[in-house]
Amino acid sequence: MRQETTGFTAAAGPQRPPGTAGWLLLAPLILWAVAFVVAPAVIMLGYSFAHRGTLGGVVPGFTLENYAGVADPVYLRIVWRSIVYAAITTAICLVAGYPVAYLIGRADARWRNLLLMGVMVPFWTSFLIRTYAWVTILKSEGLLNSLFLQLGMIGQPLEMLYTPGAVVVGLVYTFLPFMILPIYSSVEKLDGALIEAALDLGAGPMRAFSRVIVPLTSPGIAAGVLLVFVPALGIYAVNDILGGGRVDMIGNIIENQFKGNARNWPFGAALGTTLLVAFALVYAWVSRRQRELAFR
Amino acid sequence: MIRTASRILAALALVAALGPARVAGAEELNLFAWSEYVPQSVLDGFQKETGIQVNYETYASNEEMLAKLLSGAASYDLVQPSEYTVEAMVKEKLLLPLDHAKLPNLKNIGKEYYGQPYDPKLEYSVPYMQGTVGIVVNTEKVKDPITGYGDVFQEKYKGRIVVLDDALEIVTWALATLGLGPDAVTKENLEKVRPILAKWLPLVKVYDSDSPKTALLNGDVDLGIVWSGEAAILLKEEPGKFKYVLPKEGAHMFIDSLAIPKGAPNVAGALKFIDYVLRPEVSRKISEEFPYTNPNVEARKLLTKEERDNAASYPPGNPKLETFRDIGPMAADVDKLFTDLKAKSGS
Repeated sequence: MRQETTGFTAAAGPQRPPGTAGWLLLAPLILWAVAFVVAPAVIMLGYSFAHRGTLGGVVPGFTLENYAGVADPVYLRIVWRSIVYAAITTAICLVAGYPVAYLIGRADARWRNLLLMGVMVPFWTSFLIRTYAWVTILKSEGLLNSLFLQLGMIGQPLEMLYTPGAVVVGLVYTFLPFMILPIYSSVEKLDGALIEAALDLGAGPMRAFSRVIVPLTSPGIAAGVLLVFVPALGIYAVNDILGGGRVDMIGNIIENQFKGNARNWPFGAALGTTLLVAFALVYAWVSRRQRELAFR
Repeated sequence: MIRTASRILAALALVAALGPARVAGAEELNLFAWSEYVPQSVLDGFQKETGIQVNYETYASNEEMLAKLLSGAASYDLVQPSEYTVEAMVKEKLLLPLDHAKLPNLKNIGKEYYGQPYDPKLEYSVPYMQGTVGIVVNTEKVKDPITGYGDVFQEKYKGRIVVLDDALEIVTWALATLGLGPDAVTKENLEKVRPILAKWLPLVKVYDSDSPKTALLNGDVDLGIVWSGEAAILLKEEPGKFKYVLPKEGAHMFIDSLAIPKGAPNVAGALKFIDYVLRPEVSRKISEEFPYTNPNVEARKLLTKEERDNAASYPPGNPKLETFRDIGPMAADVDKLFTDLKAKSGS
């Protein structure tokens, strides 16, 4: 039981080095990881210390100027704002996603697959199309406004599209399944007898939830938080489409260094490296919290 | 199976031996151009006539094109840079000079397209389409006359404006209100522009370079400073409702050209394609789908009266138009200024 709940970072079973056959089986994965994860990260790191080329590109060299640029208040403010948006999104996804995941996980097996399907169906359509659909819903002559006007709830169309609220709605909509699915997989493994035991031993429903259910599902919560927070920090399309491009996120800034006016690859690489380090720190923190939670 | 594999290997060896210059032979042409800019019918027509298959790969900004070209990941035969990018690419020796003897239809290009500072003799580039950046007014909602940037950025229009999400564009508009041209992007002038933009940006509701017409069509905004091609579509779809105005302070004119990058495997095919596009009846097809200003005067004669009278495609009068110049490393400063002010004005 313990073993199963000690988290998504801890490996189950005795540790022993893989044999020759094991290494051979691992080889494709290692090659893949080196070619597509390690190598690009190393190139990015190298670029982040280089000088800017006139037309874009990089001129080899060593400078810390690009990192000094990251620390400029102009960009720090945007990094901070991206973190705030990602945190709000994560919090809403957690609060809204947990009950859904719990209900699906505890539902009758017959219903479970159907409900899970419901969560996944949106993935069958392109993310961009689904985001543009929100434009149709939120615009001033859109579905929501016409509905409210028809019902006489408002006299004037509400301003919903191109606001920070629209960005948060879009982000939550995009990432909610990434919160639900990992929590669901934890809830599904939850042993109902433990909850009954907690209730029998005098814990109220709130206490049973906070002391038994949450710790037991903490691997799912931690995975969900990471799966939502990390991409929400870097995404920029939602922001462009639903926010009207008014609030730049860190992703917009990085894109601009490569594909926009700025043509400053080394600076973009420095921003990317900073973000990567930030992700690593968040990952470390979340997995530690999760372990504490599970062992409490 | 093994035979196929060994054939592929042999072919690869041959390719390596001959170098990139002969790979494509006469069969393929790699065109790297703006998205939504080259009609499929033109590509089909060219292939039917010459047997050369055109691979059309797209980009959404000059910088994106440069990024790919510089990375050397793919070799292209034709690119479609705007004027300031042509200038930068010529400076960096990234373009091949064009053999005008192979371009008999070049004579169809209007006189005014010669003598532009970025490539005065069209030695490296042939104008494909020209456009302007101007003001679109929803005349049902905005009753006051709008003649320039100053009229758009007024407190009373707060939250009713869409502009291009483009730092250089917006900075040059502010420069124009100071009587400065788009080539005046210097550190000192950027400081002069800062207070103007600090006043303008909080009034903007939407920044969109890809499809700024959408916010106008949806009724979310009533004023826009957008590409003329986008405006022309609005004028066509809702005649009478929208008006296109070139700012009296001076408007940005862009000239998108076809050019052959250094290292192009199929130069002969690229020249054939340029000359094909320069034919009046072919160029006319492009205008039909993408109603920018056609630099091909012979093709203009084939347009319908409605097309010619579209004020966004063919602005009447004699407006003050200026092209962008390559601003080199200042681009990063422009971008930073815009990022900073946008962040401060947004919520």
